[in-house]
Amino acid sequence: MAETLKLCQVLLRRRLLKLGYSSSCQAFHTSARNQVYDPNPKGGFRKEGDLNFPSRTEMIRDGLKQLKGEIMLWKEEVKEKLAMDPLMVARKGEVDVQWQFNNPEVLAKFQLNSDRDQNHGYSTCELKMSPSGKGLFTGFIDTRCPKDGIISTTGYCSMRTYRARKSFKRDSYLNWSMYNTLVMRVRGDGRSYQLNIANAGYFDITWNDVFNFILYTRGGPYWQLAKIPFSKFFYVSKGRVQDKQRPINLELVSNFGITATDSSSGEFNLEIDYIGLEFDPAHQETFAYEKYKHSNFIVGN
Amino acid sequence: MLRPRLLSGVLARWTGGADRLQSSRNFGVSNFLLKKADDSEQEEQKQVVAKSIFDVKEKNKNSYIDMVRKFNERNVLKRGHVEFIYAAMKHMDEFGVSKDLEVYKSLIDIFPKGKMIPRNMFQAEFQHYPKHQQCATDILEKMEQNGVIPDMEVEVMLTNVFGKTAHPVRKFMRMYYWMPKFNNLSPWPLPKPVPDDPFELAKLALQRITSVDLLTKINTFDSKDLEDSLDKTWILSAQSPLQKEILERLPSDQPLYVEGAFKIWLRSKCVQYFVLRGKPKPYKPRPTMDEIDDVSNLKSPYIDEEAAEKTLEPLRTVHEQAEGTIIAIAATGTSSKDSLLSWIRFLQKTNPPLDRIPVLFSMTSPFGQVVPVNDSAENQGQRLSD
Repeated sequence: MAETLKLCQVLLRRRLLKLGYSSSCQAFHTSARNQVYDPNPKGGFRKEGDLNFPSRTEMIRDGLKQLKGEIMLWKEEVKEKLAMDPLMVARKGEVDVQWQFNNPEVLAKFQLNSDRDQNHGYSTCELKMSPSGKGLFTGFIDTRCPKDGIISTTGYCSMRTYRARKSFKRDSYLNWSMYNTLVMRVRGDGRSYQLNIANAGYFDITWNDVFNFILYTRGGPYWQLAKIPFSKFFYVSKGRVQDKQRPINLELVSNFGITATDSSSGEFNLEIDYIGLEFDPAHQETFAYEKYKHSNFIVGN
Repeated sequence: MLRPRLLSGVLARWTGGADRLQSSRNFGVSNFLLKKADDSEQEEQKQVVAKSIFDVKEKNKNSYIDMVRKFNERNVLKRGHVEFIYAAMKHMDEFGVSKDLEVYKSLIDIFPKGKMIPRNMFQAEFQHYPKHQQCATDILEKMEQNGVIPDMEVEVMLTNVFGKTAHPVRKFMRMYYWMPKFNNLSPWPLPKPVPDDPFELAKLALQRITSVDLLTKINTFDSKDLEDSLDKTWILSAQSPLQKEILERLPSDQPLYVEGAFKIWLRSKCVQYFVLRGKPKPYKPRPTMDEIDDVSNLKSPYIDEEAAEKTLEPLRTVHEQAEGTIIAIAATGTSSKDSLLSWIRFLQKTNPPLDRIPVLFSMTSPFGQVVPVNDSAENQGQRLSD
């Protein structure tokens, strides 16, 4: 429904991307391609040739090993569907923790990415357990640009969840429609971090749909409870704030991520206790930004 | 019909003083960029000369604007203004003007007015003068990266140069709309720009860290007042009355630890601070389900003290964390062990319990990564801000 409506929009969103306002604390060089259709979901950042696939027999063997696990998952899904009693309402004041960083197994649910991986820079990052037993996202942001004549600004590291999946490796969504606030218990170092909630859809123009907001950390030895309502998240595509704003669709959350980026080189440390969701009935706002009607042919240009 | 610039280049070649312009047939390079040089060294020197314009002894805002003004004066026809603008943008950081709106305006002012405004819909659609529009967009991009919010004058200038449907104007609109929205989002606002002075920075940092407890007082000490201190430096100490009360209740057999240095970032500046930490307050073991369900021997916590001990405990304050109880936080000028010793001596004056409780220095901390600290400033003490 929403996706088909988007198809009808002008498909010039990704042309000459420097024109848009950058959502991150620092702007990145987004690909200034003059093409409308990009068949690669990675947007040119990784090509098929970069992946090392094992031999076909090995792949078949691995697949058969996973078959049992997938069937068990599928059984659970069928049971839930037949039971037909999903949770519809979240209780007031309760935080439903999605990711609790109290054991190393949770760390495997996040994928790390930095500009070094894309040959865009020299930043490094890692996700490990901190001395006090919580998750620690740490690293070094380096704003030195590689001298390839293409990159103008760089310096970012991010941690992101893997795409939500159903049985048999089918792409799925996280359904957060019961809640209206994101709650994070963190201990930062005074830096600001960018929170990204991706709403990647089926059609290619929605592949880079992300909703952003900034997590400001106090710094210091005291823990900080950050409650950010979803109405404050603004619509972004490939790092550029979009002209036509819309509220986040909480039924179709594909990934959640945190990006560390700054205009100055240096270390960063973000200690995370948990990331959770809450329903705050006192928060009535649906969307914090205006949804103005724009002049023709200006949007996305 | 030859384009005007090519024509002028060709014409110049036919007329006399074209030696200089010979290498510049395909794009207009102004005399400003080419110094008087020997003909044989012209080709090599062209690259070198373009950089040397910015090799001024005094690099500040005035000299930068002066350079721009000279370009405008010596070059009425604005030859090579795009190249000049790109070169100027590269050197902005050296001159320390990358956060100055007036400087960006002076760069936008270089563009000729009225010439590049599209006259029909094809010109408007196909980015009339693309190189210039891209250059103006790059100026705005640099402004955005440095957090400089443009004003209406920038819009007027850009409209006069490129017309109201041009891409730089559209980018300006987006910046003018979004940047003020995001400007003051931080719950802990910092001055723009953040002060350079380490003392002021440290004060801001401590205010930020201790904003959890509004009654915190930040005191300034000077180790000159202590006779036996090696480092003569300022010491900022933050402590609240609540922390003093907690300290009074602490037993004498458990030592306190001075841990540090930890880092806090204020915009792009880093401040090192230290924490005086006590052992964490242990949580009382929660009653098991059997104990809760057992109603044979119920005791009221209001009447029976033993029952009260078991089930009730006063609410934890914000300073009683799981990793430790924070008694005070400090930042010093030299961030050395000696300055920390002076800090403890000063604290002892206002906190009598510190006389009976031992204080130790710790190399590791449960609060996070510690930057190692030197004994004193004489031993190459660490600097405060990066």
